[in-house]
Amino acid sequence: MKNLKVSIFFLLFLMVGTSVSFAQDCDSELYSNISLKKLNDGYTFIKSFKIDGKGGQRKDIEYTCVFSKDTKYRIIMQSKDDAATGIVATLFDAKRVELATSFQANKFYEGWIYVCKATGIYYLRFSFKDSNSYCGGAVLGFKR
Amino acid sequence: MKKLNIILLAFSLLLVSSAFTRPKGGNGDDVSNILQSIPSPIEISFLIKEISSQYNGSSLNNPKFVENYTMSHKKALNLGIYSTDLGYANLYEKNQDVINYLDAVRSLANGLNIGQFFDYDAVKKLASSSSNLPELLKQTQQNMDLINKHLKDQNRENMSILILTGSWIEAMYLTTLVYEQTPNVKLKEKIGEQKIAVEQIQKVLDFYKTQPNFEGIVADMKQLSLVYSKITIATSKGKSLLTESNGALVYNSDAVSSVQITDKDISLITSLVKGVRGKMVK
Repeated sequence: MKNLKVSIFFLLFLMVGTSVSFAQDCDSELYSNISLKKLNDGYTFIKSFKIDGKGGQRKDIEYTCVFSKDTKYRIIMQSKDDAATGIVATLFDAKRVELATSFQANKFYEGWIYVCKATGIYYLRFSFKDSNSYCGGAVLGFKR
Repeated sequence: MKKLNIILLAFSLLLVSSAFTRPKGGNGDDVSNILQSIPSPIEISFLIKEISSQYNGSSLNNPKFVENYTMSHKKALNLGIYSTDLGYANLYEKNQDVINYLDAVRSLANGLNIGQFFDYDAVKKLASSSSNLPELLKQTQQNMDLINKHLKDQNRENMSILILTGSWIEAMYLTTLVYEQTPNVKLKEKIGEQKIAVEQIQKVLDFYKTQPNFEGIVADMKQLSLVYSKITIATSKGKSLLTESNGALVYNSDAVSSVQITDKDISLITSLVKGVRGKMVK
């Protein structure tokens, strides 16, 4: 019984320790900065996004955005794993209909361009898929 | 100087837009999520510049009035207002006005004890180097995140809301002013689309409605909401079509939105915004 208690204690200790370690390990700003360098072709930076899955505790991270009509939006991501490996950016409209995803034909793309013709609220979700690091960053740019 | 102008414009607009993203209230996550959905003033400013070449410097809040704002809530509101004015002056490359508004912003920021986050020398230095603009914008956003965190840590997150409200009202004021001078379908639609922002700001202000000096602002925004409640944004159903261009995924949506807004609605909004803004700068 005593051994069991000690084991549970160590297990809990390790879980807490691991969680803290993962939380500290994800430097989202570093990956947003790398993404920013890839935001080109005349896109103006609007915002950066932290993609920190807290070591796997969070499976996805969602942000609410307002997109305007007659505007192109570009999302670019960088994963700690490599390029955009392990992270999928998905765009939904206000009714939660999927409009765009960065995972196509079993391949992780570094982002997408969305040509918007309808002003409204959209949901931008970053999901982890077979990720090792659960960590990354992204930037959003626009072009009229 | 042109590059400095662009950078300062971006800096001031990010000051405003970043204030929208992180503030937390009693229901921190709710507030943060709502604020995040407010449209970026960067996009609106680009549209104004596209439409009008006329600079309305005399319509902006006089930077000399900065000494009049002694109460914290007035400082926060006018920090938002001056930030928008700074961005506007930059947009039209009015260099002396830019410097005056930069001083006004710095003065109010110092007055709110957040001046340490505004590194103007660094901004000017970066502007004179070959550093690229996007990187500077990114750095500015990170600094603004620190400001919001600082305000939250000090239980002054309500200041973020006031900065946001002031900046939004000034942006609306300038937009309606440009529309009066240069009626334009796109601008009319953009004014109507602000229905989304009005609703979101109203929701956030409601979290703080019992706090000192919020009563009047909440009442004013409710009046504006009432006018906007008659305006509709209709969106047709559509699908996204995927293509690939130079290795990038491109989604073209055929869903189209349209705004139903009358000239009478525009007049009412213009008048209300002018009134609310008048109280703020007084």
